[in-house]
Amino acid sequence: MSAGGSDLLPVKPETDLALDTGFGRNAGKILLTLGGIVVLIGLWQAAVLWLDVPLYILPPPGRVLMALWAGLDVPLTSKVGFYLPLASTILNAVIGFLIGVVLGIACGSLMAEFRPIETVLMPYAFAFQVLPKVAIAPLIVIWCGFGDGSKITMAALLAFFPMMVNTFTGLRGTERERLDLMRVLSASRLETYRIVKLPSAAPYIFAGLDMAMVYALLGTIVAEFLGAQQGIGVTIIVAQTATNVSTVFACLILLGVVGIVFHLAIRVFERRTIHWANRKKD
Amino acid sequence: MIVAEDVAKTYRTTSGDAIKALARISLAIGDGDFVCVVGPSGCGKSTFLRLIAGLDQASAGWLTLAGSPVRGPSREVGVIFQDATLLPWLTILENALLPLRVGWRQAERDGKVRELLAKTGLGGFEDKYPYELSGGMQQRAAICRALARDPKVLLMDEPFGALDALTRERMNVELQDIWQATRKTILLITHSIAESVFLGDRVVVMSPRPGRVLGDFPIALPRPRRFDTTPGDPEYLRLTREIRSLLDRGTGETP
Repeated sequence: MSAGGSDLLPVKPETDLALDTGFGRNAGKILLTLGGIVVLIGLWQAAVLWLDVPLYILPPPGRVLMALWAGLDVPLTSKVGFYLPLASTILNAVIGFLIGVVLGIACGSLMAEFRPIETVLMPYAFAFQVLPKVAIAPLIVIWCGFGDGSKITMAALLAFFPMMVNTFTGLRGTERERLDLMRVLSASRLETYRIVKLPSAAPYIFAGLDMAMVYALLGTIVAEFLGAQQGIGVTIIVAQTATNVSTVFACLILLGVVGIVFHLAIRVFERRTIHWANRKKD
Repeated sequence: MIVAEDVAKTYRTTSGDAIKALARISLAIGDGDFVCVVGPSGCGKSTFLRLIAGLDQASAGWLTLAGSPVRGPSREVGVIFQDATLLPWLTILENALLPLRVGWRQAERDGKVRELLAKTGLGGFEDKYPYELSGGMQQRAAICRALARDPKVLLMDEPFGALDALTRERMNVELQDIWQATRKTILLITHSIAESVFLGDRVVVMSPRPGRVLGDFPIALPRPRRFDTTPGDPEYLRLTREIRSLLDRGTGETP
């Protein structure tokens, strides 16, 4: 799990994406990817059959699919289905994400704009960043209880750091000529920040958003593991206790889908917001 | 308009070494003059421009602009950088209007800026983004931006260095037209002898670092100068040859 231990290096903004390029050009690629999935599932099925793996170690793909269907083929408000726990997890992750993002951008901006703040905060930021933040989870649960509070706090905490580091790096990386331009125009500090620095940092901030979303989901799940009443993390723990490995797999698939949807949503938002980025001059 | 007396600039690198960029430059530029500064790369000519623009402080000497010492950026100075330095997230119009939106705000000049855009062939491109325009058009937009506040002085730091030769010639002619129409005081930094002689009333030749003035040539070629006639003028040929030999002697190599 790289979540807590990742270093202070910011994530570089992506320049090329496999997920959202033109379909026609990539039809071959997509077929290849699908083919890979089919082969993998086939191997999985074959391995379970031939090696005689017990159900509680690795269920065959069919069983996982059945578990998935069992959890989805229920009324939306059913206590046993996946909908309620999933909704709870997503809601808490999104709230925590938003809090972490706002605080991360604010903190990163203050550190980039004011040297004294950077000097004071950087050691803590660094210490916190190298600390595996998941290890703080028990403490958070003591402080915030077993309810949504600790899940949101964990999500916000994990989302905060990539946002802060990327905002800081992006703002500090503003081209010198653009800053000279604003100085020549006698622009105020706030004008320079708003008109030049923030848009300059936008690709970094979006790369941070992408990572923060994954971390927010991770933080929520970890807090749920530690004894929450609801959430997909709870569903996983309950299924694990009953050695219902198929349901654990089904939950993982759901989380994967949620992750992809969030990633794509952020990408769409990014392309609409910073349409100028990744364009060549001529 | 611009008077420099014994202006020197020494930079200190992060490792603590002192680098002498400019050594005692003295130069007086009159109102409405078009002065080109030519010199080898790294001769401190951009440093000189940054001092006049108020972006850096001189280490020694006196530097005045319209009679008062330069202490920082002035509203009477428009600067054009080597790259157009348009903000990619703003449209061409928004970029050109930027000087009227920050610092000293002058929304009443919006109409003038629109006129300028139209005059420089950017009419119809106001709502395009910089990446949709060619390099020459981007630099034209940057010139419009520099003129937005109607400054008395235009400082240009190798403004056409990034353009191809043909676009560059066309931009030279357009710049001359703008100058003849507005009579701004222009200080243009270039490493092209041809460009400096074609454009300037005066060409100041600088030595390699630490930069000082090697020569100051009045250019008396008739205006408007054109690329089909001016480069064939015997006076043009004599001046370019003289400046080149001066630069050769000063540097040991041709810039």
